[in-house]
Amino acid sequence: MSLADPATLRTRVEETGLLWGLVGLVALLSLLPIGRLIVEGLAPGGQLSATALGKVMASPATWTATWNSLTTAIAGTILATLIGGTVALLATLTDIRARNAFTFCFVLPLMIAPQVTALAWLQLFGPSSTLLKLIGMAPPLGSRNPLYSREGIILLLGLQYAPLVFLTLRAGLRALPKELIEAGLAAGASPFTVLRTVVLPLMTPPLVAGIALCFVSSLGNFGIPAFLGIPGNFLVLPTLIYQRLAGLGPGVLSEVAILSLLIGVIAMAGILLQDLMLRRRDFRITTTSSAARPFELGRWRRPVEIGLWSFAILVLAMPFLGLLSTSLIPAFGVPLNAKTATLANYAYVLFEHAASKRAFVNSFLMSAGAATLIVLICVPLGYFIVWKKSRALRLLNLAAELPYAMPGVVLAIAAILLFLKPLPVLNVSLYNTIWIIVFAYLARFLVLGLRPVISGYLQIDRTLEEAAQIAGAGLPRRLVTIIFPLVAPAAVAGALLVFLTAFNELTVSALLWSSGAETLGVVVFSFEQGGDSTYASALAAVTVLVTIGLMASTTLFAQKLPQGVLPWRD
Amino acid sequence: MTLTRRRFTRHGLMMTAAAALLAAAPALAQVPSGKLVLYTSQPEKDAAQTTAAFKKAYPNVEIEIFRSGTTEVMGKLAAEISAGQPGADVLLIADAASMEILKGQKQLLAYPGARTDGLQPGSFDADKTYFGSKLITTGIAYNTGAKEKPSSWTDLDKPAYKGQISMPSPLYSGAAAIMLSTMTARPDLGWKLFEGLKANEAVAVRGNGAVLKSVATGEKAYGVLVDFMAFNAKKQGSPIEFVFPKEGAPAVTEPVAIVKTTKNEAAAKAFVDFILSDDGQKLALAMGYIPAKPGIGSPAWLPEGTKINVMASDIAAVVKATEADKARFATMFGN
Repeated sequence: MSLADPATLRTRVEETGLLWGLVGLVALLSLLPIGRLIVEGLAPGGQLSATALGKVMASPATWTATWNSLTTAIAGTILATLIGGTVALLATLTDIRARNAFTFCFVLPLMIAPQVTALAWLQLFGPSSTLLKLIGMAPPLGSRNPLYSREGIILLLGLQYAPLVFLTLRAGLRALPKELIEAGLAAGASPFTVLRTVVLPLMTPPLVAGIALCFVSSLGNFGIPAFLGIPGNFLVLPTLIYQRLAGLGPGVLSEVAILSLLIGVIAMAGILLQDLMLRRRDFRITTTSSAARPFELGRWRRPVEIGLWSFAILVLAMPFLGLLSTSLIPAFGVPLNAKTATLANYAYVLFEHAASKRAFVNSFLMSAGAATLIVLICVPLGYFIVWKKSRALRLLNLAAELPYAMPGVVLAIAAILLFLKPLPVLNVSLYNTIWIIVFAYLARFLVLGLRPVISGYLQIDRTLEEAAQIAGAGLPRRLVTIIFPLVAPAAVAGALLVFLTAFNELTVSALLWSSGAETLGVVVFSFEQGGDSTYASALAAVTVLVTIGLMASTTLFAQKLPQGVLPWRD
Repeated sequence: MTLTRRRFTRHGLMMTAAAALLAAAPALAQVPSGKLVLYTSQPEKDAAQTTAAFKKAYPNVEIEIFRSGTTEVMGKLAAEISAGQPGADVLLIADAASMEILKGQKQLLAYPGARTDGLQPGSFDADKTYFGSKLITTGIAYNTGAKEKPSSWTDLDKPAYKGQISMPSPLYSGAAAIMLSTMTARPDLGWKLFEGLKANEAVAVRGNGAVLKSVATGEKAYGVLVDFMAFNAKKQGSPIEFVFPKEGAPAVTEPVAIVKTTKNEAAAKAFVDFILSDDGQKLALAMGYIPAKPGIGSPAWLPEGTKINVMASDIAAVVKATEADKARFATMFGN
């Protein structure tokens, strides 16, 4: 093929155009906000100054918080990996019953906001526990809650993010050909040997992707350390950033920017480590057979099922029941019984409060929009990163991590700094519209969609796509007809992560919303702050139910979707 | 006699009407109109009521609102100032210290013409840049199941209270930071009070909402809490009681201020006028707050004849001391 060949030339142009379009887009989403923060940190008001940098570096609180952030994020990630990994293996590779229902339930806790989970666990262990009062086992008034500690934070981070590992690993396991496991078993290896020598090595990409997501999520989590760490004055970087913000005064923004970049550096180190782990090995699997299920548990089946379900109920139902019980009482501290139970809180948030209805629509549209756009960006992006090994995009892949790792407040501040003035050239102002929130969502959650997609590409053999290329199909066509169907399961898992996280998020929109563009998180937060936690709980409970409804209704369309797309359906 | 009297009366009526017309004339000359952006940290419900009432009083002004936590509002404003374009015309935020800092950064517009007669002395800035709209005092809330009945701040240092106190953290709450600097500056309380709290294993949580939860649910028996939250929860049936400690209750005033860069000065001034007017003050009262004008009345939850002893606070001194005080608090309550 020579360059003169018009078809080849067209393909070249298409590919290069798409590649640079992506480079521009990802740079816009991740480098631009970060760059603006660096400017704010080192040159506030356009004047170079190292005051803020010096102040942050000299403060012992910075290093205490950094150390605490590292330890809680690493330990929380290990815990989440053990839980999520074990559950994914058991729920995907064995013959337990009702697996779809189980998967569905296990993913849901992701969408209960961390602060709700934290509160539910605190309540469960506290003297006021509505549930413990029901069974008369509440500890005495004024007992110290054991969760107010480093260990408490690690425990809740592990529980909160176990579904991340579960979801990415499950997406990978479902692409695992049955033949490999069957061959191992037929050769006389024990199930554990097969797991150790066949399954886990092949599952490195999704596992590592899940671990990386977990680590970055734990690092940037504010809700859990705010609830459990502030009382014991246990600082992590996100809570330290909030502390600085609350301190006002000149130069606060610069300090906050520098602290956020510190989080970013830690997150990037984690991702570099991930790259090293995946380098120079081949994880490709050729077939896409139906989900493997050859491990028969036999008499162990029932105990395993009981174990899995009790765990799922513990991590999902517990916070949710806490939420429900709070939403049904007229005020905090009133015991829940037939006499006191009321639906007044629901009536208020659903019918009287104008903003909450708007917020449902806004949050749904923005989250669904962000999830869709992110998939559309990530599928070609993953193609260039993994299969074409584009150097520019590999570097940007690292940068994509940053907006997700820093507290949402900081990303919001960056967005304000960027978009306050009308856009040059176009002269359109995004400020005070929903578009600034959409931009922030895209920047923040890109990585949630990207990690599963990249792990998907690492597992897929390129032969089909290469055949299509030789047959003369251009890249756009190959993307639509071959590549997307192949990575669809991973891509949808990513989209689901984006949707669930964005549907509930609070920290980004807390600074960026404007009248008429409220998000659910903002409304819940507003109730919380005014001391109306019962309303907040009612609205959060409705949110969870709506999400369950949305996820369940997609199941109805499952027949029309490519096989293996819905994470909770075999 | 009768005639003259009648004439006098008619004359009087005419005089009054003329006076009324004269008084109304300036207002008619420039009816505030156009867009006005308010940034506030008021609770959701209150913010909605405030804007609705303002709309009623000034139908030609289109008021837009951004509402969030104090930290978030101030963070947004700081970012906007840094980018050279504050988005707010008027502010209505929790505490005078934040306003004092903004004033120090030359971000506030003085309004010498504001009607401050009848306001609690000391509730507004002497340079007329910000004006307290209400009094939100902090006292001690306790769960009805609690064994002790606190009556003074120093009670919290007694052994009977060990392990049962929660309070808002001055590191995350501006109002709590003012309280810290106000109390530690007093010889009768000082740092000794906080050392006692530390010894009693008091926990500092993120904000008043969290304190309310922990006391109402009985997670902790006692809590340092703002008055209206305790009383509103009590009204809805939470098992909670509230006392104004005898040394006095530190208060924040939720001041209103005009941002220097406002493009609609007339409407911004109208907003300040409205908040300080009798109607605006009655609105604060209706929401369950103690109005900044004592003459307006006191909220329903306040027992008849309660004289609230508000702890005096020198805001300028507080702003100076706050960083050092917070650092000392952080070290003291650190692990």
